[in-house]
Amino acid sequence: MNRRASYGLFVGIAILAGFACVWRLQASVDAERTELRLEADELALRSPAVMKKLSLEYTPLMGAIYWTRAVQYFGEKHQASNQNLDELWPLLDIATTLDPNLLVAYRFGATFLSDAPPRGAGEPEKAVELLERGIKANPDYWRLYQDLGNVYYFDEKNYLKASQAFEEGSRNPAAMPWMKIMAARIAAEGESLETSYALWLDIYQTATDRDIRKNADEHLRLVQAEMDIREIDKAADVYEQRTKHRAIRISELAQAGLLTGQPLDPAGFPYILGEQGKAEPNPKSPLREEWLKEKK
Amino acid sequence: MRNIQTVAANTFREAVRDRVLYNLVFFALLMMGAAILVGQISIGIEQDMIVSLGLTAISAVGILIAVFLGVALVSKEMDKRTLYALLAKPVRRWEFLLGKFLGLVMTLTVNTAAMAAGLYLALWTVKHPLLKSDAYILVAVYLILLKLALIVALALLFSCFTTPFLAILFSAGIYVAGLFAADLRTVHGVDLDPGTLRLMRGISYLLPNFQNFNVMGAVVHGRGVPGVFIWQATLYALLYIAIVLTGAAVVFSRRNLK
Repeated sequence: MNRRASYGLFVGIAILAGFACVWRLQASVDAERTELRLEADELALRSPAVMKKLSLEYTPLMGAIYWTRAVQYFGEKHQASNQNLDELWPLLDIATTLDPNLLVAYRFGATFLSDAPPRGAGEPEKAVELLERGIKANPDYWRLYQDLGNVYYFDEKNYLKASQAFEEGSRNPAAMPWMKIMAARIAAEGESLETSYALWLDIYQTATDRDIRKNADEHLRLVQAEMDIREIDKAADVYEQRTKHRAIRISELAQAGLLTGQPLDPAGFPYILGEQGKAEPNPKSPLREEWLKEKK
Repeated sequence: MRNIQTVAANTFREAVRDRVLYNLVFFALLMMGAAILVGQISIGIEQDMIVSLGLTAISAVGILIAVFLGVALVSKEMDKRTLYALLAKPVRRWEFLLGKFLGLVMTLTVNTAAMAAGLYLALWTVKHPLLKSDAYILVAVYLILLKLALIVALALLFSCFTTPFLAILFSAGIYVAGLFAADLRTVHGVDLDPGTLRLMRGISYLLPNFQNFNVMGAVVHGRGVPGVFIWQATLYALLYIAIVLTGAAVVFSRRNLK
């Protein structure tokens, strides 16, 4: 090997070794910064108005970028089971100010904000603000009224306002006919499992995003479990009236002809009767933990 | 007319020789990356992102070409002293300027058309078939092209009486100021006397209003742009370009080239 070739080889190896060192060093820096990044979330510029000016004529792109940042922020926090979502609202605020027609940011952003922890930020009032702003900018888009009704119904438990939101949305000629039915049903019944099921079912059927569908599916399973439990408890009440004692096993209800066999929850686990003879999900069922949380 | 055509054709040829169209490779990579990545990292905005990113890239790359090449159109000829040989022939100074302007606009048109084709290709990969509303993207592209032509005219004007560096600064400054032209008419919360307000109002109309060519917000969401708006924007651009080029021709014809 001549001198020039060995010099080239030496330089090549030195460069590769240098990059290997940089790689290792960056990995160490990343590890050190992990905690820091979670605590000091980066949102240097918080003024939507200033952002809009700085974006010159490229506000739609900047809006889409901020929405992507919001999705990433929410996803990262969710994965790390970190419930500090302080930056979510400013990110959504900037995204929708930059692009007031970015419907997806209102719809999913409201879900992120309104869902109770650990699923969301637990800030339904902010979700209402976001949706009302969305409706103002996009009055012809009836789905935002549906989302507003959902937030009032599920998170704020304000059934009058929920009914009003569905009613207002139903006046749009493009709105689905069930919007009017929901408005009437919520006005008459307030919260009911059937209404909750119907609302979640629509979200499940119309959502295109996998995570949103998964969330809706989890809610649907819980509501279905609640409806099953309600039916089992009814049967247990009848059994108690007939026999003057409370059943301690579901099989007793089936043997008395009050149930057509052992009912299974949506996850495929048999329900059980608890200490006071009330039905509840099986301790082995993945639904039980969520069910207990909802009960609290 | 023949002189103008010759200068324009040579300007276009020179831009191609200078590998200006290589930026299309960057654009292609950007669009391919966006088409693959956006669906993975965001929710529900694949199409919006592709369209807004594509239009932004068309506009931003076009502005860079318009400003830098627009300024170089005259100054480069003077630095290389090729201008003297050219003007010794029966070519009037205004013909030279107009030819240069048209040549660069031709380059920008080819560049923008290729980028628009790339944008449609990227859009087609994330959703097919394309919808009728996707045709509105062409309107946005057309208006971007008008904007670029106006910027070329401005760059050409500035390069006729100042150094290339200052001409770039002036062109970029006028572009940014032009984006806020309408805001000068609607200043709120500032205590100004009526005279100043009138002056600002006057300036706002004198500045080229680049927001006239910005329909990205509507097009990204599949909304149409009224035909009247397109005609008005076209007329505005042609009028403004005519004024600026006339000014440039006057300045250039009086310039001492010795």
